[in-house]
Amino acid sequence: MRKTNFYEVAGHVFGVEAEDYIFEYADNYSFFLIEEKSSPLFKLEVKSEKFLQCYQEELSQEEEGQKIICGHTNDGKSVYEFILGGIKTGVLVCGENFVENVLYINKGYEKFSLDNALMIIFALASASKSTLLFHSSTIEKDGKGYMFLGKSGTGKSTHSRLWLKNIPQTELLNDDNPAVRIFNGNTVKVFGTPWSGKTPCYKNKSCELRSIVVLKQAPYNKITPLSGIFAYAAVVPGVSGKRWVKTIADSLHETENSLIQLVKVFQLECLPDDEASVLCYNTIK
Amino acid sequence: MRRKKGFVLREICGQNVILGEGLDAVDFGNLITLNDTASFLFSEAEHQGEFSAQSLAQALCLEYDIDFPTALNDTQEILSSWIKYGIVEK
Repeated sequence: MRKTNFYEVAGHVFGVEAEDYIFEYADNYSFFLIEEKSSPLFKLEVKSEKFLQCYQEELSQEEEGQKIICGHTNDGKSVYEFILGGIKTGVLVCGENFVENVLYINKGYEKFSLDNALMIIFALASASKSTLLFHSSTIEKDGKGYMFLGKSGTGKSTHSRLWLKNIPQTELLNDDNPAVRIFNGNTVKVFGTPWSGKTPCYKNKSCELRSIVVLKQAPYNKITPLSGIFAYAAVVPGVSGKRWVKTIADSLHETENSLIQLVKVFQLECLPDDEASVLCYNTIK
Repeated sequence: MRRKKGFVLREICGQNVILGEGLDAVDFGNLITLNDTASFLFSEAEHQGEFSAQSLAQALCLEYDIDFPTALNDTQEILSSWIKYGIVEK
């Protein structure tokens, strides 16, 4: 039987319509479940069938054995195909402004396809609402959020673990994909989401974002404040988006440009050791 | 000469900057700051489409109170750095 569930992430409501069994793969969303709401930000209809149309490829991105091909159909809808270890796992087809979307899921890859599809739609549909979906490991301490950014494999999660070990009263808010939202142009909050990479940390919680730290591996520990274009250049690669679509790029830029003027940004050149976390906390708290 | 597709002019904390955002420039990975003259030339280059150092320098003379040889010299200098970064192609 088909049903529709509604979820709220970073204050944005979305609906997912699918066969019952699909929701068994979606434990991570259960913490974000809400009562049915009218006019959600977007809807996703999940179909357990193959996508048979052709589409034209625009760009593909590959990271850690996962590949996403972006393209569009002949009638101009944007398409995202998800490939895991060379296997086609599903195809997402988005309607205008990402309001009505359809995901074609291949059997055996329900969770992988659903998570990828919802992250993409969330990032793109919320871009115009002062919201950024980040690639970051994020710590909460005393009601303040501290986000760690860096290229894949830099040690974002490791640095969070070091905070948990060395700094009292810290907790992991999200290990891979927190959302940041600016309210009234002056309050910045970081939110837990149903997406957290390999760590099952799906907290429906938010706090004021205090600082962003961009990590870089080094044979020593050193922390430097960044401002202006240096802060911008450090933060932007950590934000999910589709910058070759002008309307999305414009929205993301506006939010990112405000963000770096509202939140402190640092670069931490570091070793994966205790001293790095203590130095970092004492500087940015 | 022409401006390559995919590059945009944006304001970051009050500074004018060229970023690569389009499909043809997503891997640019650089950020180039511009002064007022360079910002004017970047927009003028898009406006003209197909342009030369001379045609941009002429526009520069109309916008700012400078003589043509100085304008041409400045324009050539800026254009050669844009060619080096792949923002402009011959």
